[in-house]
Parts: sequence; C-alpha cells; structure tokens
Amino acid sequence: MARASSPLWPLLKSFSRQELLQHPWRNLAALVSVMLGVALAFSVHLINASALDEFSQALRAVGGQADLELRSSTVNAELDESWLGRLRQQPEVALAAPVLELSSYALLAQAEDGKSRRLPLRLLGVDPLQIARLAPDLMPLPDSTEARLELFAPDRVFLNAAASLALGSGKVQLQQGLQLRTVSVAGSVRAAGGALAVMDIAAAQDFFNRMGQLSRIDIRLQPGADREAFVQRLQASADWNSSLRLAKPGDTAERLGNLSRAYRVNLTVLALIALFTGGFLVFSVLALSVSRRAQQFALLGVLGLTGAQRLRLVLLEAAALGLLGSVLGLALGTGLAAMALRLLGGDLGGGYFSGEAPALQWSGAAAMVFGSMGLATALVGAWWPARQAQALPPAQTLKGLGVVQPHRHAAWMGPALLLAGAMLALLPPLWDMPLGAYLGVALLLLGGIACLPWLVGRVLDRVAPLLAQRLLPLLAVERARRVRESAAVAVSGVVASLSLAVALTVMVSSFRHSVTSWLDTVLPAALYVRSGVGSAAAQAYFDPAFVQAASTLPGVQRLSAQRNLLLNLDPAKPPVALVVRNLEGHLEGSAASPLPLVGAALPVPAGKMGLYVSEAMVDLYGARVGQDFAPLQQAFEGGAGKPVEFFVAGIWRDYARQFGTIAMDRADYARLSRDERVNDLAFWLTPEASTEGVEQSLRELADRQSPGAGQLLEFSSATQLRATTLRIFDRSFAVTYWLQAVAVGIGLFGIAASFSAQVLARRKEFGLLAHLGLTRKQILRVVATEGAAWTGLGAIAGLALGLAVAVVLVKVVNPQSFHWSMELSLPWARLLGLALSVVAAGTLTAWLSGQAAAGRDAVLAVKEDW
Amino acid sequence: MTLQLHNLSKHYGDTPVFSKVSLRVAAGEFVAIVGESGVGKSTLLNCMAGLDHWDAGTVQLEGVDIGALDEDGRAMLRRAKVGFVFQAFHVLPHLDVLQNVSLPLLLLGQAPQQRAQAMLEAVGLGALGARLPQQLSGGQLQRVAIARALVHQPRLLLADEPTGNLDPNTAALVMRALVQQCRSHGAALVLVTHSEAATSGADRVLHLRADGMHAG
Repeated sequence: MARASSPLWPLLKSFSRQELLQHPWRNLAALVSVMLGVALAFSVHLINASALDEFSQALRAVGGQADLELRSSTVNAELDESWLGRLRQQPEVALAAPVLELSSYALLAQAEDGKSRRLPLRLLGVDPLQIARLAPDLMPLPDSTEARLELFAPDRVFLNAAASLALGSGKVQLQQGLQLRTVSVAGSVRAAGGALAVMDIAAAQDFFNRMGQLSRIDIRLQPGADREAFVQRLQASADWNSSLRLAKPGDTAERLGNLSRAYRVNLTVLALIALFTGGFLVFSVLALSVSRRAQQFALLGVLGLTGAQRLRLVLLEAAALGLLGSVLGLALGTGLAAMALRLLGGDLGGGYFSGEAPALQWSGAAAMVFGSMGLATALVGAWWPARQAQALPPAQTLKGLGVVQPHRHAAWMGPALLLAGAMLALLPPLWDMPLGAYLGVALLLLGGIACLPWLVGRVLDRVAPLLAQRLLPLLAVERARRVRESAAVAVSGVVASLSLAVALTVMVSSFRHSVTSWLDTVLPAALYVRSGVGSAAAQAYFDPAFVQAASTLPGVQRLSAQRNLLLNLDPAKPPVALVVRNLEGHLEGSAASPLPLVGAALPVPAGKMGLYVSEAMVDLYGARVGQDFAPLQQAFEGGAGKPVEFFVAGIWRDYARQFGTIAMDRADYARLSRDERVNDLAFWLTPEASTEGVEQSLRELADRQSPGAGQLLEFSSATQLRATTLRIFDRSFAVTYWLQAVAVGIGLFGIAASFSAQVLARRKEFGLLAHLGLTRKQILRVVATEGAAWTGLGAIAGLALGLAVAVVLVKVVNPQSFHWSMELSLPWARLLGLALSVVAAGTLTAWLSGQAAAGRDAVLAVKEDW
Repeated sequence: MTLQLHNLSKHYGDTPVFSKVSLRVAAGEFVAIVGESGVGKSTLLNCMAGLDHWDAGTVQLEGVDIGALDEDGRAMLRRAKVGFVFQAFHVLPHLDVLQNVSLPLLLLGQAPQQRAQAMLEAVGLGALGARLPQQLSGGQLQRVAIARALVHQPRLLLADEPTGNLDPNTAALVMRALVQQCRSHGAALVLVTHSEAATSGADRVLHLRADGMHAG
C-alpha cells in the first residue's frame, strides 16, 4: 500500500485557516503579543549594538593599531618619558610612539541666554612623524593654507569632525585650572566619535605644563616577535615597578563592553518581559481554541488523524502565528531602533553612550536569534494545548462526555518550580551578570502560575459555602471553582503581566526611595561649585589659593572641598573613582556622616591610612571592612617615605558611580601626592547670605585670579541637584512604565480573549438561565462577577508573585548588576491601585464579552445540540 | 385557566411559522403537541414562556397577559410560574446535582436545601445530590431536569422533546416521573414531541400545522 502524504498541510490550509478566519481578533491578539515582544527586544539590542559598535570604532581610531601599550596606574596616571628611550632600545620593538592624553573643556560661543557653555574635549598629544604608522586616524591634516611645520607649532590643534562642528575653525579657548588659554585650529584629524583635538606632543606637554610626562606609549613589535615573552621579560627587568601596565590596546574596547554589559543585559531582559507575557497569551488563546474545537479534533481523530498528528497540527498553528509575529516584530523593531537612534542617539538612559549618534548596525544573526525567540515563545505557549489535543478521547468527546479541561499537571510541579526559582536566585553572578537570578525570576513566575489552580481551589472552596444562598455570586464562583484549570489558563497572562508590573514598580520605587535618602546625605550644603567632572577634572580644577579665598568670602559659613580622580587599578576593569574630601573625625560614630555608610565605620589603626570604599569595591576588588586594601598602594608609588598601608574603615553606598569609588581624607591624599587641587566646593552659607550673592562673589574671585574664569564655574544648589538627579532618574526609568503598560495590556488582551471565547461557548448555559427566569442584566452580572472573581484571584497571585520577584530584583539583580544595594520600599497605594485597575479591567472585559452572548440568540442556542 | 393562547401568529420575515393558534390549558392538565419538524413547536413553547416574540394574538399565563410585560417582567413571571424540561437536559456542568435542582428556589430567594433534596428523592435520585452532572447517565440527568423544573411548584411545565435523547425504556421511566410529578403538584404540562409513546398519557394530543392547532 502506498504511504499517504502528510495530511497536516491540507488541514492547516482548511481546518486551521477557518479557525483563524472565524476568530481573527483572538488570533491577532496572540500574533501582536509575539510581534511586540520581538520588536521591543530586537530594537533594544539594535540600539545598544549600534552604539557599542560606534563607540568601539572611535576607540580603535584613537587607540590605533599598536600591539601593546604601556601605561601607569598611579594616581596622576603619569608615565615617565624615559620609558620611551628604554623601549626603543628593545630588540623586539619596531616602533614606540608617545601619547599624552588629557581631557579638559573648550569654551563655546555665548548662547542666547548670555551664559557661556563648555564643551568637554579630549586632547591627544602625539608625535606627528610616527602616529601615521600606528593610528592613521590621528594623523594631523593641516588645512591647505597652513605650512606643514604647523604640525609642531606650540599653539596649534587639529580637530575631529565632532569638535570642528561644535567649535568651528579659527581660535579655541581651552581650560587649564581656572585659566583660559587660546589655541588656533590648524587642520583636522579623521578620528570619529566624540569631540577630540590633536596636538604635537611636545607642544601639549608645554601647553599643559606636563614636561617629561606621558600617558601611554604605543608599541609596534617586530614581525615574529613573541609578545608574551617580551611582556614577561620587561616585567622582570630591574627598573619595572608595579604601577606600570603593559596591555593589549584592544582591552579598552572590551572594557567598554564590560562597562555597559550589565546595563545592556538588564534592558534586554526588561524588553523580553513583553515576549514572556506574550507566551502566556499564546497559551491562553490556543488552550481555549483547542477546548472549543475539541469535538472537531475528535471528529478528525475518528476519521484517522492520530494523536501525534493532532499535536503537530496545533504546534503548526502556533508556529504560523509565531513566525508571522516574529517577522513583523523584526520589521517593527528595526523601525523603532532607527527612529530611536535618530531621535535619542545611542543612549537609552544609562549614560554609557551619550553624545553618540550611531548608524544602525543591522545584523542577520541577531535577527535570527530574536526571531527564533518569538517562534520558540509561540511553540512553548502552544505545547500544553497541543498535548491536550493529542490526549483527548475521540469517541467520548464526540458524545460531549469528554469535557476537555486544560492540562492538569502534577501537584508538585508548582511548588518545585517556586523552590527551584528561589534557589537559583541565591546563586552568585555568572560572567558578572545575575543570570541565576533572571532564571530564578522566570521559574518563580512559572511556578506561581502552575500553583494557580491550587490557589483558586483554596480560596473558592472557602468562599463558595458562604454564597450558597445567593444565586448570582454562587453561579460565578462555582464555575471558577469547578473549572479551576480553565480559570488558571484564563488569568495566567494577567498574573504574569501583573506580577512583572508589580515587581518593576517595587524595584523602581525602592531605588527612588533609596536614591532620595542617599541625596539627603551626599548633598548637605546649600551651594555647590564644580570645576570639572570625570577625566576632565584633572585639567579643570581649583587651586588652594582660590579655595582659601573662597572660604573667607562674605556669606560663607563653612566650605568643604573635594578632589575627583580616576584610577586604573586593574587593566581588565573600568577605572575606579577616587574621591578626596575632608573625612577626618567625621565618620566614626558620627550622627551626621558625610558619606552614606552601610553599617558602622571602624577606627583606623595607628600607622595606617583609612579608606571608605563603595559597595562596588567589595564586589569588584574584594575590599573588606576592617582589612587592608593593597591595590591602592600602586597608585601612590614613587611618593615620599615608605609604602602606606591602606585600611578599609567603612563601606558606603554610591549611586553615582557603578564601578567603584574610594573616599579618602584630603590631608592623607595631600601628604601622599602633594596635590592640593580640588574640583568641587560645597558651601554652607550664613543665615543672611543669598546663594545668588555668593555665586557672584565667587565669579568675581575667579575673574580676579584669571580674567574670564568666572564663566567657567558651574553652580548648583542642593535643591537643583536633587531635582535634576531625580528628573534624570525618572527619565531613565520611564521606559519601564511603558513596558509595564505593554505587559499589562497584553495580559488583559489574554483575559479578553479567554472570556470572549468562553462566553460564546456558554451561550446554551445563558439560554438555560434565561429559561429559568434570569434577566439579561442578571446574566451579565453573573459574567461580570466571574470576571471579577477570576481577575481578583489573578490579582492576588500577581501581587504575591510580583512581590517575590521584586525581592529578587532589589536584593539580587541590582547588587549583582550594578554593585549597589537598596532598601525595599513597597508603594502599597500604587500596588493596590494597579491590582484594582486590573480587576476592574478584567470585570469590564468579561461584561463586554457577555453582551454578545447573553442576547436573545442564547434562548435559541438551548435548542441546538450540545 | 393556567394558559390561554388566542389567535397566536408568528412569521420569520415573509415566511409564516404558525398562524392563529389558540389553546387553553387547565391546571393539572397534560397537553401533548405533535407536528412535523420545522412547524414551529419549540418556537410556540418559547412564546408560551415569553422567551420569543409573536406577531399577532395573545398569551395569558395565570391571567397575566405576557405580551404586555417587558423583558424583566416576563423573566419574573417565568421564574415563579414556569418550569422547563429540554431534550438535551441542560444542567449546569459546574454545579452539583443538588445545586442544579436548587437554582429556581435560589432565584426566588427561598431556602433551597430541604425542598430540593425532597424533590430529588421524589424522582429517585436522593442519594446523588453531591454528584456532578458528568457523573450521571442520560436518564438520571433528565430526572434532575424534571426535579429542577418542578421544585418551585410552577403552574405550568413546558417540556420540549424530553425523551428525545433516551432509549425507550428510560424514556418511559422519565415520562412516568414527569407526569406523576406534574399531577402531584397540580401543574399544567405542555409537551412538544415526535414520540407517540410520550403522548400516551396525555389528556389531549394536538397537531400543530402551519394553519393552526388541530385536535388529534
């Protein structure tokens, strides 16, 4: 006998297509949920990948094509120029090129409000004769009108496109301390990325008073030279010291990847929430579709379609939805990413890629991955309904006796998943990411939803006897109680979306609450003045004379100064911030600590120098309170006297810097470095003083010290700083509110699909109730009460699960991702509002669904065969 | 008189379903209506209960003109005065047997437990109150439906092919229970059926045709 060809394709084109045509909205809801999930996740990936690629390209252009680079990890990052000669004598070295890296500000033309603006500008001093061989994009290209010798002139700079666009050609004023110094634009460089200026290295050393100092030496090795052996030999030489770092330049790009990885992964996981919820909607739609078509599947079974073929047919239906949803999602995601890159640049709120406006980097491989995730979501969502179609008994189902209930899983599965989720959440980070916690959250959600039938039973078994004498509530509750698996299916989407919405709300609220408390501690003064931030702080500073004079200004009661520096303690990790301020005697047992300490500060043992490290230092560098911290010694090598022992006297919370901060006392720092410059000043004012008056006095003081310097000062009041910080915070987390709305919307779609399907399938039941004398309003009230009962249970479960997930996000995901802790804060009013909104929306949805089925047709439906 | 139909006519568009049907059913009387498929027997039954609209004529139940009532008024009247038995049993699958029988009493705000249990015992299902419908046979389900239809002591019981899904022996048992319970409650019974056996105990057998009701 000839083997028959598979009947699935013809069935898909006829049987399944009819289902699609008869219930287009329900199937469209499932398709849209997959599409939105794929679109959000893919667009976030594209934006991050495009920004990272752009940033890496810029880094490669500036870093060049060296085999190795030599740097210093001391506090001022100064590399002695003598190393250049020593390297050039090494037989393995083909080329060694010196580079001086500086960051400062260039003064922009006056804006419309009359105030001056500063442009953060990266400055590179290079050897124009050698740089073309190592980093061609940094080769100064003189304007045609300039002579070639302008390359070496002391006051000439060559700007890249971003700097040229902001500063134009002609003269540019650069900040050095509180002074403005003028240079001429003599040409351009091809390097892409943020604003960059290139100068001859000798001119730069002279201009910025860095004679004999380098930031790095780029090394090209001889062909065939053994890099590892060369590094080992150099590190073993007598004049080598532990503050020197010899590394591959590629590490910088990798470091940026590491730097932003936790943020990118968190954002992608957040975006996948919509897809996760969409999976429940697919499950809900297909479970009900199979239930409703049970007799049709049974008929196909009687006609010879095997159980396995029925399973495959349902999976094929899901695959069709998933495939189409994924393709549309990829297209929508690409569009969203292109729009976001044009409107927002590459930064989605984390601040890692600000200033970049990268081109879209579309990747076929990434599209395959995210498209496959959409398809897999649809198939996973369809698995249980497909098993249901496979297992139904054809003969009994045809007679209407084999009522198809959604798959009843083993009772232990829910608690087992919850337990596994909790255990996974306790795992330490993997590859610096909270992967165990993410998986734990997924299992908690699945376990919670698997426990729903149990919850429905527990609650309604107690409620039902109380309603035995009241018909309408009894009808609503008894149905949910008896068909608890169906009830669980219907509300699974709502539970998943509500729990994620609750978790995100609690996480954001906890973070905001903690940041607000943190701001209270870190912003105690009335007025703040800043000379420069980040790497530019090295060139934009206040000297001791200015600080002394500022402290005696009228209206100033007290002044606190702070020096901000970046330290490279580990070449594989992002720089650590060194915050130098007055700490002496302020921390031990002090009620008004200048640092937001986590736990108590310890007394510093005699002969040691006290440090107060942020929580990130504990995770990233193994700093422990009460122990010595050796890595900082290398930063102060070469200083006067014997090496200092640093003692970790306390841990503090720093929400401003994610990769570690070390706070040390100013007097200690000055003793070690002889650097008394500062970057930030905090002023406590006398009662009669006004902030405007003190600002004016400070500008005049700066102008007296250096004409025009007053315009370089940036003032902020504590109120302004607080408001700005919280505004940035809210903007950064705005995306989570949209994701919550999408997730809850998808969940409600699910309950609408469930109710409309079930209510239509129950027309005969409503017809019977009409025969018994129930009015249409009463029937609608039964349906609405069912909606309220089901979504009410969903809300209870969603709230409980959401709180469990929130604990994982607050206590595990955040510390593991960003290395800071926060207090759990529960915004009960908002959570209850959220839960009640979902119940109200579910009730309304059920009532609307009932409208269609409780009409006069219901009376006629009683006559139809079951 | 429990039920009075006077010159009742109904059309679906231009197609007449039945016309000028007149009927009087006294308390405790058993009237069987037979007729070909599609002649409008079930529609007539629905009109008697105020579940369907008619184009001309009047329907009075216990002296109340149903046509003069709004939808809610008809539902209230039906709730108190009418019981239904269907071919396909129509019991709510998620309520147990006792709860199904209690439904009409709950609707009327009456304490259901004892009367529902007594009614179940009267139809021979006293021990099955806690079972769910899917655990019963067809004959048992129809007896549950009869118990539900009579538990609130309606004045009129409308039965639409109540034995259509049952084998002859079970059908005979069910009909016996139905008639017996109606007689004992003094309820008028209007039965629509194809089955001659079902009509055997009727006080009157009427034929419904397009031009009206005719005595058998």
